[in-house]
Amino acid sequence: MTLQPLMDGLVNGSIIGLGAIGVTLTYSILRFANFAHGELLSWGAYLALTVSAALGALLPGLGTPIGPFSFGWSVPIAMIASMFLTGLVALTVDWLLFGRLRNAGSAQIILVMSSFGAALALRNLLEFIYTSSPAYFTTALQISRPVLPGLRATPDQLLVLVLAVVMVVAVHLLLTRSAAGRSMRAVSENPALASLAGIDTRAVIRMVWMLGAALAAVGGIMSGVVVQIRPTMGLDLLLPLFAASILGGIGSVPGAMLAGLMVGLAEAFTVQIIGAEWRAAVSFVILVAMLLLRPQGIFGKAAA
Amino acid sequence: MTPDILRLKTLHAGYQPDLPIINGIDLTVRQGEFVVLLGPNGAGKSTLVKAIAGLVPIHSGLVFLKEENITHLPAHMKLHSGMTFVPQTENIFTQMSIRENLQISAQILPKQLRAERIEAMFAMFPDLAKRPSTRAGALSGGQRQMLAVARALITDPKLLILDEPSAGLSPMLVDEVFARISMINQTGITILLVEQNVRVGLNVASRGVILVEGKVAHDAPSDELKGDPVVAELYLGGGSEETAQ
Repeated sequence: MTLQPLMDGLVNGSIIGLGAIGVTLTYSILRFANFAHGELLSWGAYLALTVSAALGALLPGLGTPIGPFSFGWSVPIAMIASMFLTGLVALTVDWLLFGRLRNAGSAQIILVMSSFGAALALRNLLEFIYTSSPAYFTTALQISRPVLPGLRATPDQLLVLVLAVVMVVAVHLLLTRSAAGRSMRAVSENPALASLAGIDTRAVIRMVWMLGAALAAVGGIMSGVVVQIRPTMGLDLLLPLFAASILGGIGSVPGAMLAGLMVGLAEAFTVQIIGAEWRAAVSFVILVAMLLLRPQGIFGKAAA
Repeated sequence: MTPDILRLKTLHAGYQPDLPIINGIDLTVRQGEFVVLLGPNGAGKSTLVKAIAGLVPIHSGLVFLKEENITHLPAHMKLHSGMTFVPQTENIFTQMSIRENLQISAQILPKQLRAERIEAMFAMFPDLAKRPSTRAGALSGGQRQMLAVARALITDPKLLILDEPSAGLSPMLVDEVFARISMINQTGITILLVEQNVRVGLNVASRGVILVEGKVAHDAPSDELKGDPVVAELYLGGGSEETAQ
């Protein structure tokens, strides 16, 4: 057995972790499992692809690869734009669907079921606009280099790992050290008391959508850079996202990231040890095992 | 004459429009007063203060804070108007530290005032200042009530509304909590208190309002209510003014 699945698992786990942070934040504040969250990864990737292509057409110099990486400056610029645009997509869905259901006092299960509908609509809209053919930020080939004995990685893969760590630290600091983060944690714990404490819960909800969608966009772009972009990429990641958010403990940002890495590693080693056909089953097994054995997750607190 | 700080005009409120709990309440609280809302279980005391705070829908009627109509102002904006409400339970953020609980409400203040107000609360409640990084969920019942009151006072409100702050506390702690509330009132902050125990409520407040079935049944100075034979018979277990001391 080689150590190579370690790198594959860490890279894939970073993408899962970023998506899982969004799932865990929206769940802890909006109190429903948003099954449309995976689609935000796909939308993030496609929006970045569109912006990157437009920038490349307008300013061809931006397409020239940066140092050892496979992409030019158009991709990082497009990523920043996509984080914002994907946030707007999430806010639009909330305005059209979830917000109306919340205001009508709908039960949690109605919101969950409606998120399935939103996922279908978002995915099919992507397919309608971009077709179902895979797309790429770049077609340039990258040669992996040895980083440790028995472990090789491309510069793009290493960048994905670094970016994931930076994003998690940034979100963790935002939640623990800033007024906006305190407001999010307050609304997550007790929305009524948060209102009495002067917090505009609707503004916090908007902030959470923007943040969760921005992280999903980064995850989708990472996946697009190291693998490819497809309209169904979000659907394929949905089960791992939920497995990671449950495993990490709902509401825990470091927990979601760490659990994302664990799910990614478990998938990669399963492929190596048992066989690729079992990869999809790993997340399902983790999800069921956690719900049965420790539903509060690794970092979550048991209900009183 | 002391100006009014809170005025309720024919207020109807409740969780569902076809099931009103508050049935046309008219009430005025004057600046600096300490008013206690009393009444049997189900009288609508907590619903009334929650409606004033913006947590229960108001179906008709008006709520004025000083001259401002705050009837349909969202709950988070009422703090900006100078009114603050401490619920009976779940009145602190248990997952956050003591300092964070204070920082949350201080967020509406100008930045340069926040640290000063937090230190003022620590000076007022020295027990909280001893370990500001402690998770609020680890505090005792009395300390939790103190933190809830400190969190509410941090914005220097004109009107402080408290829903049964004595609930679940030992008699010794109840005395301490009410002594603190009386001190707060003496600093000039108007208090509207919901209390289940009529005797205790009338002893601490200067005026009592007794609600029955969502309406005001009695509204008079505390001493007068304590001496009222009907009130004594119905709400003080047949006791007299002397037994209410």
